[in-house]
Amino acid sequence: MDLQFSAEQLEFQQEVRDWIARELPRPFADEVRDPAHDADSLVEVRRGWQRKLNDAGYLGMRWATEWGGRGATEVEEAILHAELNRADAPIVPNFLGISLLGPALIHHGSEEQRRRFIPKMLSADEIWCQGFSEPSSGSDLASLRTRAEPDGDDFRITGQKVWTTFGPWADWIFVLARTDPDDRHGGISFFLVPIDQEGVEMRPLKQITGESEFGEVFFDGALARREHLVGQLGEGWRIAMTVLGYERGASTLANPADYERQLGGLVSALKERGELEQAAVREKLGKLVVDNEVMRANGLRTLANIAAGIAPGPESSIEKIFWSEYHQRMTDAAVELLGPQGMLEARSPNARTEVDWAYQYLWSRAGTIYSGSSEIQRNIIAKRVLRMPTAR
Amino acid sequence: MQFELNEDQALLQSSTRELLDNEAALEQTRSVMEESSEGYPKDIYAQLAELGYAGLLLSEEDGGLGPIAFAIVMSEMGRVAFPGPFLELSLAIRLLSGCSGEVARDWQARAAEGSALVVLARDEDLASTDPAAPQAHFADGRVQGSKVFVPFGAEADALVVSTAEGLALVPRPGTGWNAAPLTTFDHAQRFVAVELDDEAHLLAEPETSATLLTEALRLGALGASAQMMGIMERSLEIAVAYTSEREAFGVPIGSFQALQHRCADMLIQAESARSATFRAAWAEESGADDAAYLVSVAKAWAGPAGRFVCGQAIQLLGGVGFTWEYDPHIYLKRIKTLEQFHGSTNWHVENALVNAPVLADA
Repeated sequence: MDLQFSAEQLEFQQEVRDWIARELPRPFADEVRDPAHDADSLVEVRRGWQRKLNDAGYLGMRWATEWGGRGATEVEEAILHAELNRADAPIVPNFLGISLLGPALIHHGSEEQRRRFIPKMLSADEIWCQGFSEPSSGSDLASLRTRAEPDGDDFRITGQKVWTTFGPWADWIFVLARTDPDDRHGGISFFLVPIDQEGVEMRPLKQITGESEFGEVFFDGALARREHLVGQLGEGWRIAMTVLGYERGASTLANPADYERQLGGLVSALKERGELEQAAVREKLGKLVVDNEVMRANGLRTLANIAAGIAPGPESSIEKIFWSEYHQRMTDAAVELLGPQGMLEARSPNARTEVDWAYQYLWSRAGTIYSGSSEIQRNIIAKRVLRMPTAR
Repeated sequence: MQFELNEDQALLQSSTRELLDNEAALEQTRSVMEESSEGYPKDIYAQLAELGYAGLLLSEEDGGLGPIAFAIVMSEMGRVAFPGPFLELSLAIRLLSGCSGEVARDWQARAAEGSALVVLARDEDLASTDPAAPQAHFADGRVQGSKVFVPFGAEADALVVSTAEGLALVPRPGTGWNAAPLTTFDHAQRFVAVELDDEAHLLAEPETSATLLTEALRLGALGASAQMMGIMERSLEIAVAYTSEREAFGVPIGSFQALQHRCADMLIQAESARSATFRAAWAEESGADDAAYLVSVAKAWAGPAGRFVCGQAIQLLGGVGFTWEYDPHIYLKRIKTLEQFHGSTNWHVENALVNAPVLADA
C-alpha cells in the first residue's frame, strides 16, 4: 500500500500550482460576479483559459504528443484537475469534446478526422457539444430514435437531442444516431455534424439556475458527411460506451478539491461571523469535512488502482453517487448555516464572495441526474457488483 | 501509488480468515453470549499468541507487523465478530512496550505469549469514552480510584490503569478485583466497573503516559474502524445472499429495485469505510503528519456507516433478521460497541475538524 505521490508527481503538482498562480487572473467566481460580464463574455473567459492551458500542454493530458497531448499518466492528470479546482479555474468550454470526442477520435477515428478536428478542439477555435440524450431516451440511451439515413455517399439526420451542454455556443455536435431500426445497440452510429447548416436548429433551454448553459437541438434532414462517420456503421454504441469509461481517473481528486475549496469559503464566513465555535455549527461542519475526506480516500484508491493497471471495479459508480449526493448535502448545510445571506445571488449586494452559494445550491441538483442518474448507478452496483438477481 | 494488498498482506488476510473459520470463531462468539460461558475462548487466544498475533502492534524487532497488518487482522476479526478482548489486549501490549522497567517487560512478554490477559482500564465516566484527565491516583505503591467499562476486567490478570500520576500496572489481587459487571446489549463483550484500592507498579510518568494513551486511542480507533469495515462487508454478504435466495411473489426478493438500491447504499458505505480505514492505516504506518486526522475521519465514518449497514441487514432479512438464531444482530450489537469505544463518533468528528486542512488555512 502506498497512497502518496512520488517525487516526480509532487514536482508536477508544484509546477502546475506555480503555473496557475502565474496565469490565472482571478477565480471564476470573481468573473461571474463582475457586472461587466454577460453569458457570452463568460464563455470567452473560458475560451481564453482553455487556450492558455493548451499552450502550456495541459489539455489532452494522456493523449500522445502526436495528437497535441502530453503522454502523461492518469495520476498527473488527476493532480492537474485537482489543482485547477483548488484554484477555482474556469471550466474549459470544450471539456466534453476533450474528455469524450478526443478519445473517440484517437481510438476509433480516421487519421483525417484526427488531423481535421483535434487541433481546433484543443485550441477552442471549434467548440463541441454532445448529442446523446433525447427527450425520450435518457437513462435508457439505447432506445434513441434520432435517425441517420443514407443520401448518396452521405447521411441525413432527423430527430431531436436534448441537454446539450454548451450547445448555444457550439460549432459542432457529435451525435449518436440510429442507422438500423431493428438492432438496438448495433444499429447506432457515431457522427460529427456541423451546427451551422440548414436542418439544424439549436434552442437554448433555461435551467433552474436561470442560465441557458444547455440547449435542445432539432435535426431536420441535416447533412452528415460520410467522412464524418466515426468508426464503422453500427459501432456508435460501442465507441460511446468505451469513451464514457475512459476519463475515470481525471475526476478522482478533482471533486474533493473543489468541495474543499467551497468548505474553506464556508469556514471563512463562519469565522468572520464569530460562529465557528458553536457546537451545532461544528458538528455539521465536521461531518462535511469527514465525508469529503472519505471521498478523497475513495478517489485515491481508484487512482492507485488505475495506476496499477487494475481493471475498473465498483469504484466509478460509488464515486459518482458519492460526490453528487455529497455536493447536495454540503450546499444544503452551507446555505442553512449562512442563513438568508446564503441565498444571495453572486451579483447581489452583500453576497458572500468566497463561493457563489446560490448557484452551487441549485447546480448541485444536476449532479445526481447527468452522466447516469443516481438510480442508474445503484442499478449498476446491484447488478454488476453485487450480482443481485434480475427480475424474471 | 498502490491501494490493494500486496502478496504478504493478502496472505496474512487469507490465512487469518482460514484460521478463524477453522476455529468456528462466530460460533465461539455465540457461546460467549451465553451467561454461563467462561468469558472468552482462551484456546483461540493461546493459539493466536503462539502465531504472533497478539504482538501485532509491537515494533518490527519485537515481532510486530505494523498498522496495515493490524487493520487486516482486525477486519477479519470483524467479519466473525471475534469474541473477547483481542483489540484491547493488542493495545495493552503496545502500551507496555512504550513503558520502561522490569514490570512492563515481564507483563508485556506474558501477554504477548498468551499466558496473561492484560487490558487497559481508562474510562471513568459512564457517559463517555472520550479522552479525559484521569481522576484515579497512584500513591505509595497503590492505585486508588474507580474505572468503568473495563473490557473483560473480570477475566484479566492485570490492568494497565491510567492515573493522574501516570500509567500503573495492577496485578490481579488474590481476592480478585472489587468489580461489578456492566452488562450491555452486546453480550459477547463483557465489561466491569472496578473500585481499585490495590497494590500497583508505576509504569510511566504522566507526560509519557499521556503520549502513550493518545497513541493507544488512535490505534484503538483504527482497530475499531477496521473491525467495523469487516463487519459491514460480512453483513452485506449475508443480506445479498439471503435476498437472492428468498422468494416472494414468485421471484427472488433481491430482484426488487427497492432492495437492490438499499444493498447498493450498503456497499457505498462499506467500501468507503474500506478506503478511509486503509488510508488511515497507511498514514499510521508511514508516520504521516495527518495520521491522527485520517484515523478520526475513518472512525467518524465507520460508526454511522456501520450502524446503517447492520441495521439494513436486519431489515432485509425481515422476521428472521430479528431472531437470535440468525447472525445480523450479533453484528449490529458489535458495531455499536465499536462505535461507542475508542472515542465516540462526535469526538472523532470534532478531532477531524480541528485537524482539517480547511481549518488550518482559515
